[in-house]
Amino acid sequence: MPLNEAEVKALTSKIISLVKADDATASVNSNKQSHLRFAANNVLTSGTTEGRNANVTVWIGGRRGSASTNDLDDASLKAMVERAETIARSAPVDREYMPTLGKQAYKPVNSYFKATENLSLTDRARQIGDVITQCEKNNVIGAGFHSARTQAGGSATKNGNFEYERSTGVGLSVTARTQDGQSSGYFLRSHNDIAKLDTKRIASESIRKCLEGRNARTIDPGIYTVILEPQAVVDILGGFMQGFNARNAEEGRSVFSLPGGKTRLGEKMFDDKVRIYSDPRHPELPGSQSAQGGIPSQRVVLVDNGIVETLTYNRFYAKLKGKEPTPGPVNMILESTGTTQTIDEMIRSTDRGILVGRFWYIRGTDARTASSTGLTRDGVWMIENGKIAYPVRNFRFNQSMTKLLGPGNVLAMSKPERVGAGEGGGGSLLPALKVKEFNFTSQSEAV
Amino acid sequence: MSFSRRDFIKAAGLTVGAAALPVWAVDPRWLAQYARELNKDAIADAALATAKKLGASYADIRINRYRQENVSTRERQVLNASSGQNFGFGVRVLINGTWGFAASPIVTADEVVRVTTEAAAIAKANSAIQRKKIELVPTPKVTATWKSSFERDPFDVPADEKTAMLLRINEAALAIKGVSFVTSNLSAVNEQKYLATSDGSRIEQYIIRTNPSFSVTAVDRSSGDFQAVNSLRQAQQIGFEYMTKHDWAGEAKTAAEHAVMKLTAKPVVPGKYDLVLHPSHLFLTIHESVGHSTELDRALLWEANYAGTSFLTPDKTGKLQFGSKMVNFVADRTQPQGMATVGFDDEAVPGQKWDLVKDGVFVDWQTTRDTAKIVGRSKSYGCLHGDSWNSVPFPRMPNVSLQPAKENVSQDDLISGVDKGIMIFGRGSYSIDQQRYNFQFGGQTFWEIKGGKVVGMLKDVAYQSKTTDFWGALDGLGGPQTYELPGSPNDGKGEPGQSNSVSHGCPPARFRNINVLNTAAGGPSAGILEDSE
Repeated sequence: MPLNEAEVKALTSKIISLVKADDATASVNSNKQSHLRFAANNVLTSGTTEGRNANVTVWIGGRRGSASTNDLDDASLKAMVERAETIARSAPVDREYMPTLGKQAYKPVNSYFKATENLSLTDRARQIGDVITQCEKNNVIGAGFHSARTQAGGSATKNGNFEYERSTGVGLSVTARTQDGQSSGYFLRSHNDIAKLDTKRIASESIRKCLEGRNARTIDPGIYTVILEPQAVVDILGGFMQGFNARNAEEGRSVFSLPGGKTRLGEKMFDDKVRIYSDPRHPELPGSQSAQGGIPSQRVVLVDNGIVETLTYNRFYAKLKGKEPTPGPVNMILESTGTTQTIDEMIRSTDRGILVGRFWYIRGTDARTASSTGLTRDGVWMIENGKIAYPVRNFRFNQSMTKLLGPGNVLAMSKPERVGAGEGGGGSLLPALKVKEFNFTSQSEAV
Repeated sequence: MSFSRRDFIKAAGLTVGAAALPVWAVDPRWLAQYARELNKDAIADAALATAKKLGASYADIRINRYRQENVSTRERQVLNASSGQNFGFGVRVLINGTWGFAASPIVTADEVVRVTTEAAAIAKANSAIQRKKIELVPTPKVTATWKSSFERDPFDVPADEKTAMLLRINEAALAIKGVSFVTSNLSAVNEQKYLATSDGSRIEQYIIRTNPSFSVTAVDRSSGDFQAVNSLRQAQQIGFEYMTKHDWAGEAKTAAEHAVMKLTAKPVVPGKYDLVLHPSHLFLTIHESVGHSTELDRALLWEANYAGTSFLTPDKTGKLQFGSKMVNFVADRTQPQGMATVGFDDEAVPGQKWDLVKDGVFVDWQTTRDTAKIVGRSKSYGCLHGDSWNSVPFPRMPNVSLQPAKENVSQDDLISGVDKGIMIFGRGSYSIDQQRYNFQFGGQTFWEIKGGKVVGMLKDVAYQSKTTDFWGALDGLGGPQTYELPGSPNDGKGEPGQSNSVSHGCPPARFRNINVLNTAAGGPSAGILEDSE
């Protein structure tokens, strides 16, 4: 069972009491995960695991050492602390050492739902059985992954801070393929509360995409106007939105760098419709009560009206530069600063363009321009004269993310919805995007 | 809640069992207090008896300890040095042709019975919706111990020796004018694995892997440009002797020179080029296009929801022309220093060596006991692996290696046969479709070849191709003396996601007329493939 607050407090206090070093932070985390994986309309693997882990980092004369163990008895915790102290004594001085935090005031985030933790094996089997039956009725081959997890843990410092937090998450993804292997559809949703996971919708959307993707045509790669569904947006932008790092920018090795050690903070790098921010207490996307270094999390706006509003500082670099450490991001939200359109409205206003449901295997190719490559997957459609005209085969793209969201390139956004996180994690809150130019560089036969 | 493993002795009334264990089966620094108490065979007996009572046609239990040490540095400082260990067990049961799995870090008799009962409950709940029963091919009962090959256990090396070695690497790079940043990292992993199956097998294995790496960055603050070069050498199943057998500081100095050189290197002009690919680069192309496409579970659509399927299908076995006649790929879980080398897999099948592609023709698959049964095989090649005691074991890749030429062909010999080409070193950006066909790979350093000679450095290079086109374009292989065995500890696959360690041996190889694009151009000038039908 995941640890409760009293257990975490007792264990972290025990670890701190064993520390002889000048300063220390101790953390104890526990989790319970349960999954059911199916493929070829058949159950593959299913299991429940429980885990826990203790970690300590100590500083002796500014020298740092860390150790961890999943044996939580007294003798093992003592051995862990001694190991960390042995490492610290032989280490050079940690020039980025920051004294651990004193007592902090955290504002709780509600991301724990008992019903998710107490998932019923028979209910899950019935739901997945229904998904498989739905696939069979539509003569498609279904594969998918249902995953629920509970995490509970906390940390304590030698300077008197303690925090405890627990959360739950559940997700289901379904892929439907035609018997001839020529079309595939995919749909994924996740939430903290299992009551909000609509397994029927996930299955029916996947099957719909698969059936509507049959008889895909081959068209030339090139630059197209593109509508990206929210899943495609999280696939392609999820990594980029983690990169608003002040230190990398000031060190001259980031897309936010300018010559001479200057940065693009305050610059209008993006379309004026773009707002990117983190909100730990957003009702649709609860984050975490603590941000980097254990500081209490707060709302952080990275981009507003297309202008770079924040580059993030950790505690050490903030002190070095005379700034405040950034209390986030702990989740990621992209929304329009103005009006929104539905995907149907975006399609109706498109003379010629492409609708993309999902991307796959995205890798950075050039950090200077925040460029990536990757492929479309599980559903691509040609739009002509305001309507979906026909499905098309997959493409590889090479695309700069700053150009994707750049001034003038964002034509429309929908209301954001929660997407991503195939293993029941936090996900993101993102809209569908209509962009003027998107660079497909080759075709892909893969289905 | 109890965290004590001592309860097991009281509950089971067992006697001292350590005398039956190999000397390396416990870590005295962590486990001195338990060394005399832990009897894995007795714990396994309790699990297997419970599984049988609950109706399992097959069951296994893995009781594993994992140790990790990691040192990371930046320029002239240590960012962190850490040491960790993780211990627990996982039970897998097959009931009514349906798998159930459960795992726990509390290794006691009571807990093993509870967890096995939970695994059985999961299997029974899901068997109600099972369409086709899972079946296994047989494998001989075995009692064995196996230890990977290494000279110096990295867990016996003091942290300060590791730290000093990394800081020397950093210093070598920082000595080069124009270098702005350097990071280095040394991680070591020790797996102590115990497996018992209801077939009667009992196996203990001890595996060491060492993974040093570094990255050097040069920044031109006046222009705003920056370029990085990462280490070319990769992880191996080897001990700490890896740190002295290879000249890491020397490689860091060269990498630093190349990072600075990259700032003023000529951007590549997109087009068709012959490529000579060094093993430090080619191993990842093999991994993505050959290693994954020959996984049988992908062809059976088991990975359709995540990693994807394969362009290869069972009906193409022995028929499909995968590459040119020079192309031979061998799967091998017995190769010394191979990251995926084992004595036995996680269902007691011995490590083996077999052909995947022979004389350019695709001839065989990577199999496990359940996937082998589906395609009518009588035995498994032993590819089942779980990355932790709490992970469900599933099909994972063995070492898959490109065989060298029989003659002593050198890298220069390959280059001399190129009129317009590029030589690529190191793993860079890599991306491949979900059926392992259309791919794009970058590298660390790129060298222009003209008239059979290297004439200078290029940058912003990536190539795009399709698996069978690419391997069909191979017309030159280095000889045995050029063969290297790079590996990776981070091959991701499966749901829940798991990581696998795997190596891909190869010589340098030459490929004709491959599409190259410029990754910095971003727009149309990046290059659109001419044969992208």
